[in-house]
Amino acid sequence: MKKIVNIYIAGLALLSVSLPSCKKEIGSLNGPSLEQLSKNPSRLELNTVVVGTEAGMRNNLDFYLDATGVIGREMYRFAGSEPRYTTDLLGAGSSTLNNNTFYLTNSWNSRYRVVKNCNILIQGATNSTSVSAAQKKGYTGFAKTIKAYELLLNLNLTYINGVRIDVENPDNLGPFMGYPESLTAIAGLLDDAKADLTGADIVFKLSSGFGAYTDAAGLIKFNRALAARVAVYRQQWAPALTALNESFFDLNGSFNNGVFHVYSTGPNDQLNLAFVGQNQNGEIRVAHPSYAADILAGDDRIGKATLRAQAASQNGLTSNRDVWVYRSSTDPIPIVRNEELILIYAEAKVQLNQLPDAVVAINRIRTSHNLAAYAGAVTQAALATEMLYQRRYSLYFEGHRWVDIRRYGLLNQLPIDRAGDDVWDRFPRPLTEGN
Amino acid sequence: MRKLLKLAVLAMFYSALPTLLWAQISVTGTVTDANNNPLAGVSVKLKNSNIGTATDAAGRFSITVPSKGGELEISSVGYKTQTIKANSNSYALSVKLVEDVGRLDEVVVTGLATSVKRRNLANAVATISNRDLAGTAPAQTFDAALNGKVPGALINANSGAPGGGISVKLRGVTSFFGNTQPLFVVDGVFLDNTATPAGLNFVTAAARGGNSSNQDNPSNRIADLRPEDIENVEILKGASAAAIYGSKAAAGVVIITTKRGRSGRTRVSVSQDIGFVKARKFLGTRTFTEATAEDLGGSNAARRAAIKAEFNAAKAAGKIFDYEKEMYGQTGLTRNTNVSVTGGNERTSFFFSASQKDEQGIIKRTGYRNNSVRLNIDHRISDNVKIGVATNYINSSADRGLTNNDNNSVTFGVALSSTPGFTDLHADALGNYPNNSYSSSNPIQTRDLMTNNEAVDRFMTGVTLDAIFQKSEKSITRFVGRGGFDFYNFKTTALFPNELQFQAVNQGTSIQGFAKNLNTNFILSLVNNFNASENLALTTSAGITQENGDFDNILNIATKLVAGQTNVDLGSALTATQLRNKFQDNGIFFQEEATIMDAITLTGGVRFDRSTNNGDAEKYYIYPKAGVSWNLTRMDFMKNSFFDNLKVRAAYGQAGNFPAPGSKFAIMSIFNIGGNTGLLPNTLRGTPTIKPERTSELEAGVDFSLLKSKLNFSFTVYEKKISDFLLQRPTAGSTGFANEFVNAGDLRNRGVELSLNAQPVSNKDIRWNTVVNFWLNRSKVTKLNIAPVQLGVFGTSLGTFKIEEGKSATQIVGTDGNPDVAVPLGDAEPKFQMNWFNEITFLKNFSLRFLLHWKNGGDNINLSELLTDLGGTSPDYDDPTKNGTSKKGPDRLAQFFSGSARGFVQDASYLRLREIGLYYTFTNMPVNFIKGLRVGISANNYFTSTKYRGYDPEVSNFGTGFSTNVDVMPYPASKRATFHLLVDF
Repeated sequence: MKKIVNIYIAGLALLSVSLPSCKKEIGSLNGPSLEQLSKNPSRLELNTVVVGTEAGMRNNLDFYLDATGVIGREMYRFAGSEPRYTTDLLGAGSSTLNNNTFYLTNSWNSRYRVVKNCNILIQGATNSTSVSAAQKKGYTGFAKTIKAYELLLNLNLTYINGVRIDVENPDNLGPFMGYPESLTAIAGLLDDAKADLTGADIVFKLSSGFGAYTDAAGLIKFNRALAARVAVYRQQWAPALTALNESFFDLNGSFNNGVFHVYSTGPNDQLNLAFVGQNQNGEIRVAHPSYAADILAGDDRIGKATLRAQAASQNGLTSNRDVWVYRSSTDPIPIVRNEELILIYAEAKVQLNQLPDAVVAINRIRTSHNLAAYAGAVTQAALATEMLYQRRYSLYFEGHRWVDIRRYGLLNQLPIDRAGDDVWDRFPRPLTEGN
Repeated sequence: MRKLLKLAVLAMFYSALPTLLWAQISVTGTVTDANNNPLAGVSVKLKNSNIGTATDAAGRFSITVPSKGGELEISSVGYKTQTIKANSNSYALSVKLVEDVGRLDEVVVTGLATSVKRRNLANAVATISNRDLAGTAPAQTFDAALNGKVPGALINANSGAPGGGISVKLRGVTSFFGNTQPLFVVDGVFLDNTATPAGLNFVTAAARGGNSSNQDNPSNRIADLRPEDIENVEILKGASAAAIYGSKAAAGVVIITTKRGRSGRTRVSVSQDIGFVKARKFLGTRTFTEATAEDLGGSNAARRAAIKAEFNAAKAAGKIFDYEKEMYGQTGLTRNTNVSVTGGNERTSFFFSASQKDEQGIIKRTGYRNNSVRLNIDHRISDNVKIGVATNYINSSADRGLTNNDNNSVTFGVALSSTPGFTDLHADALGNYPNNSYSSSNPIQTRDLMTNNEAVDRFMTGVTLDAIFQKSEKSITRFVGRGGFDFYNFKTTALFPNELQFQAVNQGTSIQGFAKNLNTNFILSLVNNFNASENLALTTSAGITQENGDFDNILNIATKLVAGQTNVDLGSALTATQLRNKFQDNGIFFQEEATIMDAITLTGGVRFDRSTNNGDAEKYYIYPKAGVSWNLTRMDFMKNSFFDNLKVRAAYGQAGNFPAPGSKFAIMSIFNIGGNTGLLPNTLRGTPTIKPERTSELEAGVDFSLLKSKLNFSFTVYEKKISDFLLQRPTAGSTGFANEFVNAGDLRNRGVELSLNAQPVSNKDIRWNTVVNFWLNRSKVTKLNIAPVQLGVFGTSLGTFKIEEGKSATQIVGTDGNPDVAVPLGDAEPKFQMNWFNEITFLKNFSLRFLLHWKNGGDNINLSELLTDLGGTSPDYDDPTKNGTSKKGPDRLAQFFSGSARGFVQDASYLRLREIGLYYTFTNMPVNFIKGLRVGISANNYFTSTKYRGYDPEVSNFGTGFSTNVDVMPYPASKRATFHLLVDF
C-alpha cells in the first residue's frame, strides 16, 4: 500500500514541477502585428506605414520595366540563367506569356502589397484616436493616390484583362473589372484623394524623391500629374489639360521636375536594380537595335543607349548598345516628371485639334534634345506620330512605350526580330487570381 | 508543492535503501560464440535491476548480485539472448551464445521509456548498428551513411558539397511545407536539424525568379554527428511506431543511441582513415570548331568576327581549356582520426572519444573539417538507481563553394554554362583575372577569391536517471527521467572581394550570419512491470514531456568594402536581418503493453500534445496508438513446426506535425527609404486558426524464420493517411500577400516493404550473411479543399510539382506545346527501391562487405542541361539527333522554345555500389600491448549505372524541403576511396 502511495506522490510531483513552467502563448517575434496597425495606431505608427508604402513602391519595379521594355521592343534583357526574357516575353516560336511566371507575378504581387499597405493606412488613420481630422485626410489622401498609381501599373500589364479594385478583404476580393471600368475607378480614386488632400494636414515624412511636393499642396500637384496620365489613357483630352493645370506641369520648366523613386545603400533601403554597368556580360540590358536605327540624326537621346565595346547576343538576338538610362545603382527612377507632362499636353492638344499649341510643346522637347524645330505637316495624324516618337525617346525605359503604342493600336508596327516572334498586347491574369 | 517533491524523493531513496544493505555475492563467467571464440562487449544484466556489466576481450565477466541470487540476462547484438540462474554457487559460469541472423532478440524502443524484443514487436522498425553505419565504407556525413540502408526511406543527397546536406523521407511524403524530415533524437535529446542559409541569395538572387525557397545549398545540422560514436540507430518510420512522440513524429523518428562505457579493463581504440575523393563523373564540354564558335556570336557580324578571332588565336596557341575538369577535377585528400577510451568499474563506466575529420572537396578551396569530443558516463548510485550522462562537443567548418541556381550568373556552374573553353579566364602574371566576356562572372576568379564557410560550435548533453523505487515478487516500478539540451552557434561567412568581376556594382560584399539555437527537452515517466502470472506480463508507463526551442539568426550584409577587408563595419553600406523562432510544446502520455504467454503482445497508448505554434496554443491534440503481435511459434500447436519463428503483427497510430513557428501571425516587415523607417505587410499571410496536420498509419506484416533461423523473412504493408495537411499556397496576389499556410486537404501513402535476411553459408572457412530489401511507396492526394497548387520549382514552362486531387503528391507537371496547359510529365517517387547487403568472412581473417542500392524510377527536373544548351556548351550539343535531321543541343532548345518542358523531366533511376570494403583482422599481434589490429580498404559510390544526364541522379537545388529532385548546377557528386587502420590497446 505504502508503495502505491509513493507512486502517486511521485507522479503528482512530476506534474507539479512541470506545470508552472508552461507557456501558453509566445507572440510574434519577428515584427509588429498587422492587426495593431489597422485597429488604433499612433501617429508614429501611421508614419512608418507611409514610409513603407513609399519604399514598397520600388519592390520588383525592375521586373515591370523589363517586361514592358522587352515587349515594347525598347530593349532586350539577356540573362545567362533565365531564358524566358528572350522566349516568353518576345513570343519566340510558340512560347507565350505564362500566367504564373516571375516576369508577371513578382511585379503584380508587389504592387498589390503596396495597395494592401495603403488600405491598412486608410483603415488605421480612420480608426486612430490619436490624429486629428485634418491629419487623417492627409494619410488617406496620400494612401489613395499611391493606391491608384499602383493599380494603374498592374492594369498596364493586364490591359483588357483588368484588375481588382476592391481588395480590402483578402477573404472576399472584389471582381476583376474591365479596362475602361478599371481606369474609371483609378481616376475616381485619384479624385477622392485630391478631395482628401485639400485642406489636409501632412504630418508624415516622405523621401527626397517627392522633392518639393511633400505638403498637401504638393501632393495635390503630384496627384493631378497622375490624373493627367490617366485622363489621356481614357482619351479624356480636356480633363487631361485641367489636371495638368493643377499639377506641376510647366511647359518651360525642367524636364526632370517631378516625383521619383530614390535609392540608397542605407539599412533596409534598396538599390536601383534597373541599373547595369556598361559593357557587362551575362546579366545585361541592351537597347533594341531599332532604338538607334530609328532615332533622328543629332538627337541627344542616343545617349540613353551607349555603344558597347563588344556586341552582346543571346538566343538569336544581338545588340551593340547598352541601355544607359539609370547610370548608378542609386539613380532615381521617375514616377512622373515634367517631360511626360509636356508630352501629355502635346497629346491632348493634338487630339483636341489645337495643333499650334501641340507644336509649341513638341518643339520644347525637340530643341532641348538637340533637334531642329518641327518642320513636318501640321496635321493631327502627323503630329500624333511625332508625339509618339518624342514619347518613345523621352520616356525610354521608364515603362511607357508598350502602353503608348497599344493605346494607338500600333502594336503591329513593332519590329519582329525572329521568325515566329509575337508582340503581346497584354499579360494574362495571374494564375493565383483564379482567373 | 516543494514539500511534496521532497517527500517523493525521500520515498524513492527510502525504498531503495533496503536492497543496498543486503549482503552481496560475486558471480563470474565466460561468454563465447558457438565456435568457442570469446565474445567481448556482451552485456550481462541482473534481471529486474539496474545492475549490469560487460565482458572483456577474453569474454570474461564478473558481476556482484544480492545474495539471494537472480536471473542473469546475457545479450549482444547479433546473438540470441540467454537467461541463466545465478546464486551463491555460481562461479565460472560458461555461456555459449547462438548467432541471431534474424536479430529477433534485439531490443527495440517502443515507448518513451520502454522497449520490447524484436520477436514481439508489432512494427517494422529498422535498426542500423554501428557496423552497418560506418563499418564498410564511411560516407561523407552521418546522414549520408544511412542512405540505401533503410527500407521505406527515400534518402537523397542535395549536392556533393563538403559538409553534406541530405534529405530523408520515410514512407513517402508526409508534409508539403518546410519540415518533411524525421525527428532526430540522440540519447533522449531532441536534435535541431535546421538548415540555416548563409545569405548567398543576396549575391546570387536565386530566389528572385519566382521561387522563394532557399537555394543557398546549406547543410543540415544532423550532419554534425560522428558515426563512430553511434552504437545504433532505430528508425520509427511512421505514426504507428512513433505515435508516442506525438506532434513531432509525423515524418518518423530516428532514435540514435551513442556508445556507452563498459566496466573492466580500460580499452583504447585508435582508428585512422586516409583516402581521397574525386568527381564521380565529368559530363564533358563541347568541342568547338571555327564555325560553331563563330555561331556563339549570333547575328552580329562584329561579335562573330571577334569570337572567331578569339577561337583561332586560342587554337593556335594551344590554349583551349577544359574548365569542367579545372573546376571539379581536384583530387581531395581525406583523413579521419578517432581515439576512443572505454572502461570503468562496477559502479561507474565511461566512454570517451575524440575525433578529427579533415576532407578536401573536388573543387579547390572547398572542404570540411569536424572535431568532436564525446564523454558518456554511467554511474550506479545504488543497486536501484543509476544515472547516465552523454556529452558531445562538436566544432566543424565547411567551405562549400558557390554552386546551385542563381539569377546573376555568378555560381560556378551557371557561369561555366555559357563559357566556352577557348576563352582564357586565368590570372596573368600580376594576379589579375580577365573579365569573362561570356558571362557576368569569371568562375575561376570567383573560386580563387570567394569564401563560403559554415562553422559550427555545438554542445549536446543528455541525462538519464533510472530509479527503481518499488520492487516486489511480481511488480517493479521505476522512474525514468530523460532530458537534455542541444546548443549550437552557427556562423556563416560569405565573402566576395572587390576584385570579382560581378562585384563592379557592390564593390565587395561580406555576408556574415550568426545563428544561435538552444533546444531543451525532458521526458519524466513512471514505468511499472507487473508479472500477473506465468502467462501475463504488463508494462504500464505514463509521463509528461516538454520541448523548448529558441532560434535566433542575425545576418549582416556589408557592401562597398575597404579593399581586402572582410569585417562588416569596414564597408560603406550595411544591412542586417534578424529571424527569431521560439516554441514550447507540452505532452502527456500513457502506454500499456501486455505480453500474454510470451507470444501475444498488445500495446495501447495515447499522447496529448499542445504547442505554441498552433493557432490555439492551449488546445491539446490527442494521438492514440495500438498494436498487436502474435508469435505463433510460441504457441503449443506450432512448436517444432517448419517455422522457427512466425509472427503476424498489426499496428495503428497517429502523430502530428506542428505548423511552422510564426505561421499564425500576420506581421509587418521593414522597408526603409531615404533614411525613413517604414513597414510593409509580410508576404506570408498569417493564419490564426492554423492547426497541426495529423498522420494516421496502419501497418501490418508477417515475419518468419526457417532452417534454424538461417533464413528470415519480413513482409510489411502500410497505409499512411495525412489529414489537414499543411500547405503554403500562393494566395491571390491582389490580397497583398504572396503565400499563406492552410490546412488544405488529405493525402495518402501506401507501400510495401520486404526484407530477406539469410546466412547461406556458414562453416569454418566461409561465413556469408546477406540481406535483401525491397520497398515501394505510392502517394495520392485524396482530398484538396483548395484549387490545385503548383509547388516549388520555377513554373510550368520548366517543369514543376503540382498538388492536385486524385494525383500523386510528387507528380511533376509542365507545359507540352500548349503554354496554357500543364500536363503530367513525371513523378519524383521511385517505382521501387532495392538494396543488397553482403558480408562475407573468409580465410578466417578476411571480411568483405558491400552494399548495392537500386532506385528504379523517380524523375528529376534537370535544368542544368537547359542552361548549358542555352550557353552553347553542352558536351553533346553538336551530336546528331537520332533521326539525323538536327543536332541535339538545338533540337532540345527547339523543344523548349516550342513550349515543351518534357525534355527537362528525366528518369533518375540508378544502380549504385554505395559501399564496398575489404578488411583484414590480425590474429597474431606484433606486440603484446596491442590487443586488436585491423586494416582495410573501402570505396564509396565507385560504381553507378544511370541514364540520367546530369552529374548525379541524387540532387536537390532546394535543399531538404518538399521540392527535392531539381537539378540546377549543383556541386557535383564525388566518389571516395579510403584506407583504414584500427588498433585496440
